[in-house]
Amino acid sequence: MKKIFLALTALFLSAPAFAAVGCDLNDPDRDVARLFPGSTGYRTRYVSIKGSGGQPLLERVETRLGDKFKGLYETMDVPYTLYDIYKGKEVIGYIHGVNQKGEYGGIQVFLALDRAGLIKSFYIQKLTSRAARDLRAREFGSQFAGLALKDFEAYDPVAAKALPGSAPEKIKGPAKAGKDFAAVLRAVKKNLILLDEFVFSKKEK
Amino acid sequence: MKAKFSLLFSLLFSPALPAGAESLLFLEAQGVAGYSSMDRAVVWHSMSASEPMQKSSVGFDLLKKFSGDTGDTGTLAVQGRLARDPDAPNRLEPQLYNAYYRAKTPAAYIWAGHSRAAAGLESYFDTHGALLQALPMYGYGFDRDWGFGASRDFDWGDAALSLTSGTGMRARAAGNYLLSGRLARGVLNRDNYAAGFYFSSGKIPEMAGYKVLDGEERTYTAAGADGALLWNRWELRGDLRAGEKAGMRYVAGLGRLGLNLLEENRLKLEAQAVYSGMERMEGWALASGFSLAVTPALTWRALFEYEDAMHERRLVTQLYYYLPI
Repeated sequence: MKKIFLALTALFLSAPAFAAVGCDLNDPDRDVARLFPGSTGYRTRYVSIKGSGGQPLLERVETRLGDKFKGLYETMDVPYTLYDIYKGKEVIGYIHGVNQKGEYGGIQVFLALDRAGLIKSFYIQKLTSRAARDLRAREFGSQFAGLALKDFEAYDPVAAKALPGSAPEKIKGPAKAGKDFAAVLRAVKKNLILLDEFVFSKKEK
Repeated sequence: MKAKFSLLFSLLFSPALPAGAESLLFLEAQGVAGYSSMDRAVVWHSMSASEPMQKSSVGFDLLKKFSGDTGDTGTLAVQGRLARDPDAPNRLEPQLYNAYYRAKTPAAYIWAGHSRAAAGLESYFDTHGALLQALPMYGYGFDRDWGFGASRDFDWGDAALSLTSGTGMRARAAGNYLLSGRLARGVLNRDNYAAGFYFSSGKIPEMAGYKVLDGEERTYTAAGADGALLWNRWELRGDLRAGEKAGMRYVAGLGRLGLNLLEENRLKLEAQAVYSGMERMEGWALASGFSLAVTPALTWRALFEYEDAMHERRLVTQLYYYLPI
Protein backbone atom coordinates (compact mmCIF):
# COMPACT_ATOMS: atom_id res chain seq x y z
CA MET A 1 0.00 0.00 0.00
CA LYS A 2 2.86 2.36 0.83
CA LYS A 3 4.24 1.83 -2.65
CA ILE A 4 0.93 2.72 -4.27
CA PHE A 5 0.60 5.89 -2.19
CA LEU A 6 4.22 6.80 -3.02
CA ALA A 7 3.52 6.28 -6.70
CA LEU A 8 0.33 8.38 -6.52
CA THR A 9 2.14 11.14 -4.66
CA ALA A 10 4.92 11.14 -7.23
CA LEU A 11 2.34 11.41 -9.99
CA PHE A 12 0.53 14.36 -8.45
CA LEU A 13 3.78 16.20 -7.79
CA SER A 14 5.61 15.48 -11.01
CA ALA A 15 2.96 15.69 -13.70
CA PRO A 16 1.73 19.01 -15.05
CA ALA A 17 -1.97 19.55 -15.68
CA PHE A 18 -2.85 16.96 -18.29
CA ALA A 19 -6.07 16.72 -20.19
CA ALA A 20 -7.92 13.59 -21.17
CA VAL A 21 -10.68 15.17 -23.16
CA GLY A 22 -10.75 14.07 -26.79
CA CYS A 23 -13.39 14.58 -29.44
CA ASP A 24 -14.43 11.51 -31.42
CA LEU A 25 -17.30 10.97 -33.78
CA ASN A 26 -19.89 8.77 -32.05
CA ASP A 27 -20.12 6.46 -35.02
CA PRO A 28 -17.52 7.31 -37.66
CA ASP A 29 -19.02 4.91 -40.25
CA ARG A 30 -22.38 6.64 -40.16
CA ASP A 31 -21.10 10.17 -39.61
CA VAL A 32 -18.33 10.15 -42.25
CA ALA A 33 -20.71 8.91 -44.93
CA ARG A 34 -23.14 11.70 -44.05
CA LEU A 35 -20.58 14.50 -43.70
CA PHE A 36 -18.56 13.46 -46.74
CA PRO A 37 -20.86 12.04 -49.42
CA GLY A 38 -18.91 10.03 -51.97
CA SER A 39 -16.25 8.90 -49.49
CA THR A 40 -15.44 5.20 -49.25
CA GLY A 41 -13.48 5.05 -46.00
CA TYR A 42 -11.55 6.93 -43.35
CA ARG A 43 -8.38 6.60 -41.35
CA THR A 44 -8.21 7.73 -37.73
CA ARG A 45 -5.18 9.59 -36.41
CA TYR A 46 -4.53 11.15 -33.01
CA VAL A 47 -2.64 14.43 -32.77
CA SER A 48 -1.88 16.85 -29.98
CA ILE A 49 -0.37 20.30 -29.75
CA LYS A 50 2.29 18.89 -27.46
CA GLY A 51 3.31 16.24 -29.99
CA SER A 52 3.08 18.56 -32.99
CA GLY A 53 5.09 21.52 -31.77
CA GLY A 54 4.63 22.00 -28.04
CA GLN A 55 4.63 25.40 -26.37
CA PRO A 56 5.65 27.39 -29.49
CA LEU A 57 2.73 25.84 -31.40
CA LEU A 58 0.32 26.56 -28.54
CA GLU A 59 1.39 30.21 -28.52
CA ARG A 60 1.03 30.43 -32.31
CA VAL A 61 -2.46 28.89 -32.17
CA GLU A 62 -3.49 31.30 -29.40
CA THR A 63 -2.18 34.29 -31.38
CA ARG A 64 -4.04 33.19 -34.52
CA LEU A 65 -7.19 32.53 -32.50
CA GLY A 66 -6.97 35.85 -30.69
CA ASP A 67 -7.70 34.19 -27.36
CA LYS A 68 -5.94 32.07 -24.76
CA PHE A 69 -6.50 28.34 -24.43
CA LYS A 70 -8.06 27.64 -21.04
CA GLY A 71 -10.01 25.16 -18.99
CA LEU A 72 -10.51 21.40 -19.24
CA TYR A 73 -10.82 21.28 -23.03
CA GLU A 74 -7.84 23.39 -24.04
CA THR A 75 -4.51 22.08 -22.84
CA MET A 76 -1.48 21.05 -24.88
CA ASP A 77 -2.10 17.39 -24.15
CA VAL A 78 -5.65 17.12 -25.47
CA PRO A 79 -5.66 14.29 -28.00
CA TYR A 80 -7.46 15.51 -31.12
CA THR A 81 -8.97 12.88 -33.39
CA LEU A 82 -8.36 13.55 -37.06
CA TYR A 83 -10.11 11.56 -39.78
CA ASP A 84 -8.43 11.35 -43.20
CA ILE A 85 -11.28 10.78 -45.67
CA TYR A 86 -10.69 8.34 -48.52
CA LYS A 87 -12.22 7.76 -51.90
CA GLY A 88 -10.64 4.48 -52.87
CA LYS A 89 -6.98 4.93 -51.96
CA GLU A 90 -6.99 8.70 -52.39
CA VAL A 91 -7.38 11.16 -49.49
CA ILE A 92 -10.12 13.62 -50.51
CA GLY A 93 -10.50 15.57 -47.27
CA TYR A 94 -10.52 15.65 -43.50
CA ILE A 95 -12.94 15.66 -40.59
CA HIS A 96 -11.89 17.12 -37.27
CA GLY A 97 -13.75 17.99 -34.08
CA VAL A 98 -13.02 20.22 -31.12
CA ASN A 99 -14.49 20.62 -27.67
CA GLN A 100 -15.65 24.08 -26.73
CA LYS A 101 -17.02 25.42 -23.47
CA GLY A 102 -20.72 26.19 -23.88
CA GLU A 103 -23.33 27.58 -21.53
CA TYR A 104 -24.28 24.12 -20.23
CA GLY A 105 -21.04 22.19 -20.58
CA GLY A 106 -19.02 21.11 -23.57
CA ILE A 107 -20.00 21.53 -27.21
CA GLN A 108 -18.42 19.26 -29.83
CA VAL A 109 -18.06 21.00 -33.20
CA PHE A 110 -16.93 18.98 -36.22
CA LEU A 111 -15.90 20.32 -39.62
CA ALA A 112 -15.45 18.36 -42.84
CA LEU A 113 -12.93 20.06 -45.13
CA ASP A 114 -11.89 19.26 -48.66
CA ARG A 115 -8.21 19.13 -49.63
CA ALA A 116 -8.23 22.87 -50.36
CA GLY A 117 -9.37 23.63 -46.82
CA LEU A 118 -12.94 24.64 -47.70
CA ILE A 119 -15.70 23.60 -45.31
CA LYS A 120 -17.95 20.97 -46.87
CA SER A 121 -20.03 20.15 -43.80
CA PHE A 122 -20.58 21.47 -40.30
CA TYR A 123 -21.81 19.23 -37.51
CA ILE A 124 -22.53 19.83 -33.82
CA GLN A 125 -22.41 16.48 -32.04
CA LYS A 126 -22.67 17.01 -28.29
CA LEU A 127 -24.64 20.03 -27.13
CA THR A 128 -27.05 20.60 -24.28
CA SER A 129 -28.71 23.95 -24.80
CA ARG A 130 -32.16 25.46 -25.13
CA ALA A 131 -31.22 26.13 -28.76
CA ALA A 132 -29.73 22.69 -29.43
CA ARG A 133 -32.31 21.83 -32.08
CA ASP A 134 -31.80 25.14 -33.92
CA LEU A 135 -28.00 25.01 -33.73
CA ARG A 136 -28.07 21.48 -35.14
CA ALA A 137 -30.51 22.40 -37.90
CA ARG A 138 -29.42 22.02 -41.51
CA GLU A 139 -30.24 25.71 -42.16
CA PHE A 140 -27.75 26.84 -39.52
CA GLY A 141 -24.98 24.43 -40.50
CA SER A 142 -25.26 25.16 -44.21
CA GLN A 143 -24.13 28.76 -43.59
CA PHE A 144 -20.59 27.44 -43.02
CA ALA A 145 -20.33 25.53 -46.30
CA GLY A 146 -17.69 26.95 -48.65
CA LEU A 147 -15.99 29.04 -45.94
CA ALA A 148 -12.32 28.64 -45.04
CA LEU A 149 -9.83 29.78 -42.42
CA LYS A 150 -9.19 33.09 -44.21
CA ASP A 151 -12.85 34.01 -43.66
CA PHE A 152 -12.45 33.68 -39.87
CA GLU A 153 -8.99 35.21 -39.46
CA ALA A 154 -10.37 38.62 -38.43
CA TYR A 155 -13.10 37.20 -36.17
CA ASP A 156 -12.56 38.21 -32.53
CA PRO A 157 -13.74 35.37 -30.27
CA VAL A 158 -13.21 37.34 -27.06
CA ALA A 159 -15.55 40.17 -28.06
CA ALA A 160 -17.58 37.85 -30.33
CA LYS A 161 -17.24 40.47 -33.08
CA ALA A 162 -16.80 40.02 -36.81
CA LEU A 163 -15.75 42.63 -39.31
CA PRO A 164 -18.70 44.29 -41.05
CA GLY A 165 -19.46 42.47 -44.28
CA SER A 166 -17.24 39.47 -43.40
CA ALA A 167 -18.48 35.89 -43.68
CA PRO A 168 -18.82 35.31 -39.90
CA GLU A 169 -20.81 38.54 -39.58
CA LYS A 170 -23.33 37.20 -42.11
CA ILE A 171 -23.87 33.95 -40.18
CA LYS A 172 -27.23 34.18 -38.43
CA GLY A 173 -27.48 32.53 -35.03
CA PRO A 174 -30.72 31.11 -33.63
CA ALA A 175 -32.55 33.61 -31.42
CA LYS A 176 -32.40 31.36 -28.35
CA ALA A 177 -28.72 30.38 -28.75
CA GLY A 178 -27.27 33.23 -26.66
CA LYS A 179 -23.70 32.54 -25.56
CA ASP A 180 -23.69 29.18 -27.33
CA PHE A 181 -23.73 30.92 -30.74
CA ALA A 182 -20.51 32.79 -29.92
CA ALA A 183 -19.06 29.54 -28.53
CA VAL A 184 -19.80 27.77 -31.82
CA LEU A 185 -18.07 30.51 -33.86
CA ARG A 186 -15.03 30.33 -31.58
CA ALA A 187 -14.99 26.54 -31.97
CA VAL A 188 -15.13 26.84 -35.78
CA LYS A 189 -12.20 29.26 -35.84
CA LYS A 190 -10.21 27.11 -33.41
CA ASN A 191 -10.99 24.00 -35.45
CA LEU A 192 -9.83 25.64 -38.71
CA ILE A 193 -6.60 26.88 -37.11
CA LEU A 194 -5.80 23.46 -35.63
CA LEU A 195 -6.50 21.74 -38.95
CA ASP A 196 -4.23 24.24 -40.65
CA GLU A 197 -1.46 23.51 -38.15
CA PHE A 198 -1.93 19.74 -38.05
CA VAL A 199 -2.58 19.15 -41.77
CA PHE A 200 -2.41 21.99 -44.30
CA SER A 201 0.73 23.78 -43.04
CA LYS A 202 2.56 20.46 -42.88
CA LYS A 203 1.60 19.66 -46.47
CA GLU A 204 3.03 22.98 -47.68
CA LYS A 205 6.43 22.35 -46.05
CA MET B 1 6.83 -5.67 -9.65
CA LYS B 2 9.20 -2.76 -8.99
CA ALA B 3 10.47 -2.95 -12.55
CA LYS B 4 6.92 -2.84 -13.95
CA PHE B 5 6.03 0.22 -11.87
CA SER B 6 9.30 1.91 -12.89
CA LEU B 7 8.60 1.23 -16.55
CA LEU B 8 5.05 2.53 -16.23
CA PHE B 9 6.03 5.74 -14.48
CA SER B 10 9.06 6.38 -16.65
CA LEU B 11 6.60 6.79 -19.52
CA LEU B 12 5.46 9.97 -17.77
CA PHE B 13 8.65 11.67 -18.75
CA SER B 14 7.96 11.34 -22.49
CA PRO B 15 4.29 12.28 -22.49
CA ALA B 16 3.95 13.82 -25.97
CA LEU B 17 1.56 12.24 -28.44
CA PRO B 18 3.53 11.97 -31.68
CA ALA B 19 2.05 13.74 -34.68
CA GLY B 20 -0.33 11.37 -36.46
CA ALA B 21 -0.26 8.55 -33.91
CA GLU B 22 -2.65 5.65 -34.40
CA SER B 23 -2.93 4.85 -30.73
CA LEU B 24 -3.81 6.49 -27.44
CA LEU B 25 -2.36 5.40 -24.12
CA PHE B 26 -3.67 6.72 -20.83
CA LEU B 27 -2.29 6.19 -17.36
CA GLU B 28 -4.91 5.69 -14.68
CA ALA B 29 -4.39 5.85 -10.93
CA GLN B 30 -6.88 6.08 -8.10
CA GLY B 31 -6.95 6.11 -4.35
CA VAL B 32 -10.16 4.92 -2.65
CA ALA B 33 -11.00 4.99 1.06
CA GLY B 34 -14.15 5.10 3.12
CA TYR B 35 -16.03 4.10 6.25
CA SER B 36 -18.67 1.42 6.57
CA SER B 37 -21.14 1.44 9.46
CA MET B 38 -21.67 -2.30 9.01
CA ASP B 39 -17.95 -3.09 9.27
CA ARG B 40 -17.47 -0.30 11.81
CA ALA B 41 -14.14 0.25 10.14
CA VAL B 42 -12.30 2.02 7.38
CA VAL B 43 -12.84 0.28 4.03
CA TRP B 44 -10.70 0.44 0.90
CA HIS B 45 -13.45 -0.18 -1.66
CA SER B 46 -16.51 1.72 -2.83
CA MET B 47 -18.99 -1.19 -3.17
CA SER B 48 -18.08 -4.53 -1.62
CA ALA B 49 -14.68 -6.13 -1.30
CA SER B 50 -15.71 -8.91 -3.68
CA GLU B 51 -16.72 -6.56 -6.51
CA PRO B 52 -14.00 -5.17 -8.76
CA MET B 53 -14.95 -1.47 -8.73
CA GLN B 54 -13.72 0.77 -7.13
CA LYS B 55 -10.46 0.07 -5.30
CA SER B 56 -7.10 1.83 -5.07
CA SER B 57 -5.27 0.92 -8.25
CA VAL B 58 -2.84 1.86 -10.96
CA GLY B 59 -3.49 0.92 -14.54
CA PHE B 60 -3.52 1.85 -18.18
CA ASP B 61 -6.00 2.30 -20.99
CA LEU B 62 -4.82 1.62 -24.55
CA LEU B 63 -6.69 2.26 -27.77
CA LYS B 64 -5.03 1.37 -31.06
CA LYS B 65 -6.42 1.81 -34.55
CA PHE B 66 -5.48 -0.47 -37.43
CA SER B 67 -5.76 0.73 -41.01
CA GLY B 68 -5.04 -0.29 -44.58
CA ASP B 69 -4.74 1.53 -47.92
CA THR B 70 -8.38 2.55 -47.88
CA GLY B 71 -8.86 3.46 -44.23
CA ASP B 72 -9.48 1.96 -40.80
CA THR B 73 -9.98 -1.76 -40.46
CA GLY B 74 -10.29 -2.23 -36.71
CA THR B 75 -9.60 -1.15 -33.15
CA LEU B 76 -7.75 -2.84 -30.30
CA ALA B 77 -8.69 -1.78 -26.76
CA VAL B 78 -6.90 -2.98 -23.63
CA GLN B 79 -7.58 -1.59 -20.20
CA GLY B 80 -6.05 -3.09 -17.08
CA ARG B 81 -5.50 -2.28 -13.46
CA LEU B 82 -3.58 -3.60 -10.50
CA ALA B 83 -5.97 -3.08 -7.62
CA ARG B 84 -5.27 -3.37 -3.91
CA ASP B 85 -7.85 -3.98 -1.21
CA PRO B 86 -6.82 -5.38 2.20
CA ASP B 87 -10.40 -6.64 2.71
CA ALA B 88 -10.62 -8.61 -0.55
CA PRO B 89 -9.81 -12.32 -0.99
CA ASN B 90 -7.08 -11.26 -3.44
CA ARG B 91 -5.45 -8.31 -1.76
CA LEU B 92 -3.51 -7.46 -4.90
CA GLU B 93 -5.69 -8.17 -7.90
CA PRO B 94 -4.82 -7.71 -11.59
CA GLN B 95 -8.03 -6.62 -13.32
CA LEU B 96 -8.75 -6.59 -17.02
CA TYR B 97 -11.65 -4.47 -18.25
CA ASN B 98 -11.47 -3.78 -22.00
CA ALA B 99 -9.56 -6.48 -23.88
CA TYR B 100 -11.10 -6.72 -27.31
CA TYR B 101 -10.52 -6.28 -31.02
CA ARG B 102 -13.32 -4.62 -32.92
CA ALA B 103 -13.34 -5.10 -36.68
CA LYS B 104 -15.09 -2.78 -39.10
CA THR B 105 -17.13 -4.65 -41.70
CA PRO B 106 -19.60 -3.28 -44.27
CA ALA B 107 -22.50 -4.74 -42.31
CA ALA B 108 -21.56 -4.05 -38.70
CA TYR B 109 -18.84 -3.71 -36.10
CA ILE B 110 -17.81 -7.11 -34.80
CA TRP B 111 -15.86 -7.57 -31.58
CA ALA B 112 -14.18 -10.46 -29.81
CA GLY B 113 -12.67 -10.49 -26.33
CA HIS B 114 -13.72 -8.78 -23.11
CA SER B 115 -16.19 -6.00 -23.76
CA ARG B 116 -19.73 -4.85 -23.09
CA ALA B 117 -22.59 -7.27 -23.47
CA ALA B 118 -25.60 -5.94 -25.38
CA ALA B 119 -27.85 -5.31 -22.37
CA GLY B 120 -28.83 -2.39 -20.21
CA LEU B 121 -27.37 0.97 -19.34
CA GLU B 122 -23.98 -0.68 -18.88
CA SER B 123 -23.79 -1.46 -22.60
CA TYR B 124 -22.97 2.21 -23.35
CA PHE B 125 -22.60 4.04 -20.03
CA ASP B 126 -18.96 4.07 -18.96
CA THR B 127 -18.58 3.87 -15.18
CA HIS B 128 -15.04 2.51 -15.07
CA GLY B 129 -13.81 5.47 -13.04
CA ALA B 130 -16.96 6.38 -11.13
CA LEU B 131 -18.07 5.64 -7.58
CA LEU B 132 -21.77 5.51 -8.42
CA GLN B 133 -22.30 2.28 -10.30
CA ALA B 134 -24.96 0.76 -12.54
CA LEU B 135 -26.88 -2.50 -11.92
CA PRO B 136 -23.99 -4.95 -12.62
CA MET B 137 -22.16 -3.92 -9.43
CA TYR B 138 -25.40 -4.67 -7.54
CA GLY B 139 -25.45 -8.21 -8.92
CA TYR B 140 -27.60 -7.83 -12.06
CA GLY B 141 -25.79 -8.21 -15.37
CA PHE B 142 -22.15 -7.67 -16.27
CA ASP B 143 -20.10 -4.52 -16.73
CA ARG B 144 -17.82 -6.46 -19.12
CA ASP B 145 -18.04 -10.05 -20.32
CA TRP B 146 -15.93 -12.45 -22.40
CA GLY B 147 -17.20 -13.41 -25.82
CA PHE B 148 -18.26 -11.97 -29.15
CA GLY B 149 -20.60 -9.26 -30.30
CA ALA B 150 -21.84 -7.24 -33.22
CA SER B 151 -23.39 -3.80 -33.42
CA ARG B 152 -24.67 -1.49 -36.09
CA ASP B 153 -25.47 2.19 -35.85
CA PHE B 154 -28.42 3.62 -37.73
CA ASP B 155 -29.61 7.19 -38.18
CA TRP B 156 -32.30 6.52 -35.58
CA GLY B 157 -30.14 4.66 -33.02
CA ASP B 158 -28.36 1.34 -32.87
CA ALA B 159 -28.77 -2.42 -32.61
CA ALA B 160 -26.41 -4.80 -30.82
CA LEU B 161 -26.14 -8.53 -30.22
CA SER B 162 -23.64 -10.46 -28.09
CA LEU B 163 -22.81 -14.04 -27.17
CA THR B 164 -20.72 -14.05 -24.03
CA SER B 165 -19.66 -16.36 -21.23
CA GLY B 166 -21.93 -14.85 -18.58
CA THR B 167 -19.03 -14.77 -16.13
CA GLY B 168 -18.11 -11.08 -16.19
CA MET B 169 -14.51 -10.42 -15.21
CA ARG B 170 -13.39 -14.04 -15.32
CA ALA B 171 -13.16 -16.17 -18.46
CA ARG B 172 -14.78 -19.57 -17.98
CA ALA B 173 -16.00 -22.32 -20.29
CA ALA B 174 -18.09 -24.93 -18.44
CA GLY B 175 -21.27 -24.96 -20.46
CA ASN B 176 -22.01 -21.37 -19.52
CA TYR B 177 -23.23 -18.79 -22.07
CA LEU B 178 -25.23 -15.61 -22.28
CA LEU B 179 -27.04 -14.36 -25.36
CA SER B 180 -28.03 -10.68 -25.26
CA GLY B 181 -29.61 -8.23 -27.64
CA ARG B 182 -30.47 -4.54 -27.44
CA LEU B 183 -32.32 -2.16 -29.72
CA ALA B 184 -32.05 1.56 -28.98
CA ARG B 185 -33.47 4.78 -30.32
CA GLY B 186 -31.40 7.96 -30.08
CA VAL B 187 -27.68 8.61 -29.64
CA LEU B 188 -27.07 10.24 -26.27
CA ASN B 189 -24.16 12.46 -27.37
CA ARG B 190 -26.03 13.60 -30.48
CA ASP B 191 -29.72 13.60 -29.61
CA ASN B 192 -29.45 14.17 -25.84
CA TYR B 193 -31.49 11.02 -25.29
CA ALA B 194 -31.19 7.27 -25.77
CA ALA B 195 -33.79 4.65 -24.96
CA GLY B 196 -33.28 0.93 -25.35
CA PHE B 197 -35.02 -2.39 -24.93
CA TYR B 198 -32.99 -5.50 -24.27
CA PHE B 199 -33.04 -9.14 -23.35
CA SER B 200 -30.53 -11.67 -22.04
CA SER B 201 -30.83 -15.42 -21.74
CA GLY B 202 -28.36 -18.12 -20.84
CA LYS B 203 -26.82 -20.47 -18.31
CA ILE B 204 -24.37 -18.84 -15.93
CA PRO B 205 -22.60 -19.60 -12.65
CA GLU B 206 -22.94 -17.37 -9.59
CA MET B 207 -20.05 -14.88 -9.71
CA ALA B 208 -18.76 -11.97 -7.65
CA GLY B 209 -15.95 -10.21 -9.45
CA TYR B 210 -13.34 -12.83 -10.28
CA LYS B 211 -14.67 -15.33 -7.74
CA VAL B 212 -16.98 -18.22 -8.63
CA LEU B 213 -19.47 -18.42 -5.75
CA ASP B 214 -21.41 -21.35 -7.16
CA GLY B 215 -20.03 -23.28 -10.12
CA GLU B 216 -23.37 -24.79 -11.10
CA GLU B 217 -24.63 -23.16 -14.32
CA ARG B 218 -28.21 -22.00 -13.85
CA THR B 219 -30.73 -20.24 -16.01
CA TYR B 220 -30.32 -16.48 -16.20
CA THR B 221 -32.80 -14.26 -18.01
CA ALA B 222 -33.34 -10.54 -18.16
CA ALA B 223 -35.75 -8.39 -20.09
CA GLY B 224 -35.63 -4.70 -19.58
CA ALA B 225 -35.57 -1.12 -20.73
CA ASP B 226 -32.97 1.58 -20.19
CA GLY B 227 -32.89 5.25 -20.92
CA ALA B 228 -30.80 8.38 -20.57
CA LEU B 229 -31.75 12.02 -21.03
CA LEU B 230 -29.62 15.18 -21.02
CA TRP B 231 -31.37 18.53 -20.56
CA ASN B 232 -29.36 21.71 -20.02
CA ARG B 233 -27.55 21.07 -16.73
CA TRP B 234 -29.57 17.98 -15.86
CA GLU B 235 -28.94 14.30 -16.56
CA LEU B 236 -31.44 11.52 -15.97
CA ARG B 237 -30.72 7.81 -16.30
CA GLY B 238 -32.83 4.77 -15.66
CA ASP B 239 -32.73 1.01 -16.09
CA LEU B 240 -35.41 -1.53 -15.20
CA ARG B 241 -35.04 -5.27 -15.70
CA ALA B 242 -36.76 -8.45 -14.60
CA GLY B 243 -36.06 -12.13 -15.03
CA GLU B 244 -34.65 -15.20 -13.34
CA LYS B 245 -31.34 -15.63 -11.61
CA ALA B 246 -29.97 -18.49 -9.50
CA GLY B 247 -33.38 -20.16 -9.51
CA MET B 248 -35.23 -17.08 -8.27
CA ARG B 249 -37.33 -14.41 -9.93
CA TYR B 250 -36.14 -10.83 -9.64
CA VAL B 251 -36.93 -7.26 -10.53
CA ALA B 252 -34.15 -4.68 -10.41
CA GLY B 253 -34.25 -1.00 -11.17
CA LEU B 254 -32.01 2.04 -11.13
CA GLY B 255 -32.82 5.73 -11.33
CA ARG B 256 -30.20 8.46 -11.29
CA LEU B 257 -30.47 12.23 -11.39
CA GLY B 258 -27.41 14.38 -12.06
CA LEU B 259 -26.87 18.14 -11.97
CA ASN B 260 -23.83 19.74 -13.65
CA LEU B 261 -22.51 22.93 -12.09
CA LEU B 262 -19.60 25.40 -12.32
CA GLU B 263 -17.61 26.38 -15.41
CA GLU B 264 -17.33 23.55 -17.92
CA ASN B 265 -19.48 21.34 -15.68
CA ARG B 266 -16.58 20.79 -13.33
CA LEU B 267 -18.90 19.80 -10.50
CA LYS B 268 -21.50 17.09 -10.83
CA LEU B 269 -24.02 16.30 -8.07
CA GLU B 270 -25.83 12.99 -8.33
CA ALA B 271 -28.48 11.01 -6.49
CA GLN B 272 -29.33 7.41 -7.24
CA ALA B 273 -31.83 4.82 -6.10
CA VAL B 274 -31.37 1.12 -6.84
CA TYR B 275 -34.09 -1.42 -6.16
CA SER B 276 -32.95 -4.99 -5.77
CA GLY B 277 -36.00 -7.21 -5.94
CA MET B 278 -34.65 -10.70 -5.58
CA GLU B 279 -37.30 -13.00 -4.12
CA ARG B 280 -37.24 -12.83 -0.30
CA MET B 281 -34.25 -10.45 -0.41
CA GLU B 282 -35.81 -7.21 -1.58
CA GLY B 283 -33.98 -4.01 -0.70
CA TRP B 284 -32.98 -0.51 -1.67
CA ALA B 285 -29.64 1.18 -2.07
CA LEU B 286 -29.92 4.95 -1.91
CA ALA B 287 -26.86 6.98 -2.80
CA SER B 288 -25.74 10.50 -3.44
CA GLY B 289 -22.39 11.88 -4.40
CA PHE B 290 -20.36 14.50 -6.17
CA SER B 291 -17.60 14.56 -8.74
CA LEU B 292 -15.27 17.55 -9.03
CA ALA B 293 -12.74 17.99 -11.85
CA VAL B 294 -9.88 19.53 -9.87
CA THR B 295 -7.62 19.65 -12.95
CA PRO B 296 -8.12 18.25 -16.45
CA ALA B 297 -6.55 15.00 -15.22
CA LEU B 298 -7.54 14.82 -11.56
CA THR B 299 -11.08 14.21 -10.33
CA TRP B 300 -12.22 14.10 -6.72
CA ARG B 301 -15.34 12.07 -6.01
CA ALA B 302 -17.29 11.21 -2.90
CA LEU B 303 -20.26 8.96 -2.28
CA PHE B 304 -22.69 8.30 0.55
CA GLU B 305 -24.75 5.14 0.21
CA TYR B 306 -27.40 3.55 2.41
CA GLU B 307 -28.32 -0.09 1.84
CA ASP B 308 -31.44 -1.01 3.75
CA ALA B 309 -31.01 -4.80 3.58
CA MET B 310 -27.99 -4.66 5.89
CA HIS B 311 -28.72 -1.18 7.30
CA GLU B 312 -25.28 -0.20 6.04
CA ARG B 313 -24.18 3.38 5.69
CA ARG B 314 -21.05 3.85 3.67
CA LEU B 315 -19.10 7.01 3.00
CA VAL B 316 -16.38 6.72 0.35
CA THR B 317 -14.03 9.18 -1.28
CA GLN B 318 -11.80 8.78 -4.30
CA LEU B 319 -8.99 10.66 -6.02
CA TYR B 320 -8.91 9.63 -9.66
CA TYR B 321 -6.11 10.43 -12.07
CA TYR B 322 -6.35 9.80 -15.82
CA LEU B 323 -3.85 11.27 -18.23
CA PRO B 324 -2.73 10.71 -21.80
CA ILE B 325 0.84 9.55 -22.30
